[in-house]
Amino acid sequence: MFRLIGRHFKEAFQGIFRHFGMAVSCVMAMTFMLLLVSFLTLLIGNVTQITRTLEDDIKVFVKIDSYVEEDKIDTLKGRVEQVSGVKSVEYSDKDQELDRFIEGFGEDGKLFEIFREDNPLSRAFIVEIENGYSISEVSRSIARVDGLKGVDFGGTTTEEFIEVLNSIRKGGYVVVLALTLLAIFLISNTIKITIYNRNREIGIMRQVGASNSYIRQPFVIEGIFLGLIGAIIPVLTSIFGYKALYDTWDGQLISGMLSLQPVNPFAYQVSAFLLLIAVVIGFVGSFISVNKYLRWSR
Amino acid sequence: MVHLQNVYKVYKNGVNALNDVTLDIAEGEFVYVIGDTGSGKSTFIKLLDGEEIPTKGIVEVNGINVGKLRFSRVPLYRRNIGVVFQDYRLLERKTVYENIAFALEVINKPKAEIRQRVREVLEIIDLTEKTKSFPTELSGGQQQRVTIGRAIANNPKLLICDEPTGNLDPERSNEIVELLERINERGTTIIMVTHDMNLVNKYRKRTIKLDYGHIVSDSKEGGYIANV
Repeated sequence: MFRLIGRHFKEAFQGIFRHFGMAVSCVMAMTFMLLLVSFLTLLIGNVTQITRTLEDDIKVFVKIDSYVEEDKIDTLKGRVEQVSGVKSVEYSDKDQELDRFIEGFGEDGKLFEIFREDNPLSRAFIVEIENGYSISEVSRSIARVDGLKGVDFGGTTTEEFIEVLNSIRKGGYVVVLALTLLAIFLISNTIKITIYNRNREIGIMRQVGASNSYIRQPFVIEGIFLGLIGAIIPVLTSIFGYKALYDTWDGQLISGMLSLQPVNPFAYQVSAFLLLIAVVIGFVGSFISVNKYLRWSR
Repeated sequence: MVHLQNVYKVYKNGVNALNDVTLDIAEGEFVYVIGDTGSGKSTFIKLLDGEEIPTKGIVEVNGINVGKLRFSRVPLYRRNIGVVFQDYRLLERKTVYENIAFALEVINKPKAEIRQRVREVLEIIDLTEKTKSFPTELSGGQQQRVTIGRAIANNPKLLICDEPTGNLDPERSNEIVELLERINERGTTIIMVTHDMNLVNKYRKRTIKLDYGHIVSDSKEGGYIANV
């Protein structure tokens, strides 16, 4: 078993050195692809973080009609909770609403203390929703519940911003997937040329009774190894490049409103992801091309 | 050892390479297969080593129906036959020792066993002095001996030689046939495809003549005299 593995590794390394030019071009293509994947993954990770922060801050204020009696509040709350897309509902009575109103004005808010005696504000539900991008749709659904008189979610700007972030995230996933497929194609083509160059050797191996798996394994190891070499620069860039960026911006965007993913563990997770992609690309790429070759002749 | 029964081989391009070929070769025989270009000699070899399957009929080697062999079983089957080609097909980056050892490495034999067997083979092919030489440093005859060494490394019961002397001068050709005779004396069945009628006349063996895919003669050992 170990003897066999040893031979396969030896063959794989010999393969790389014998076709050095090919190996270098393959590694360069891989490095370029993974750098793009690294950049996009770092972007997606941070966009996800920012979206989550924004979504956590988004609350819908729902005013309760004055005719709703106090003992019916729980029933009404239950109805709002049942609206699709609602995560949680918190009840706020008149006094709490006034507190919040006064707080909103800071020091000047004390002026409104006079309303304590005769509070004109409505009771309200503070609703948290599941996805920020569906805020207006959920708000419309809440507004249809009887006993409520107004829904306020802060306008469509936030919703649009979240939608843009989500589009970036989804687009990023698509591009990462496309790049991965492209890299598989590139590496499988490179390995195919390597195999073509070793046509004679493979023919002899087949003639003396080498099994397909025996022939295939050195190529697959070679593919994985090329993938891993190609991942070195992208991994280092992910860790040190991101760290430098994080330190430059002090981990924050837009004067501290939005925070970036911390270097540890995020950059290391991205690195592990890159290594995984490199291994998968190397494996799949070489497997496909060597299998194609092995199918051609008996 | 080899049994062909009513074998036909028609290629996709319509070429009728073998037509109703029936023959038996017993264990330990040394047989020449002769015939002009296009007579079906190469197809005959390809059927024996599992590279092609017959369109019709049975091809049996050592009790195995080669035509019905599953794709995945072909490598295992080939470990029991050795094939020698006219163009040697040696790995140029490997030494004589490594070329012979290669046949044993790919079937995962232990190192010690490989060392022992390669030494034996080198003695049989009389190349113990050239162990560390590369193929390009050898003469044609020596290269062909290495090819034969590689083909017998795994102790095959059947050795198929496709024009093994095609690229050699008469003296080297004689050496190769004499080497094959020695291997044959050890019990290996040998099928040698050749164009060289001098050899056929000098080393008289059973001779099967193919013409347009048909067996036109099958002479017992010593019975065939070719026109040179």
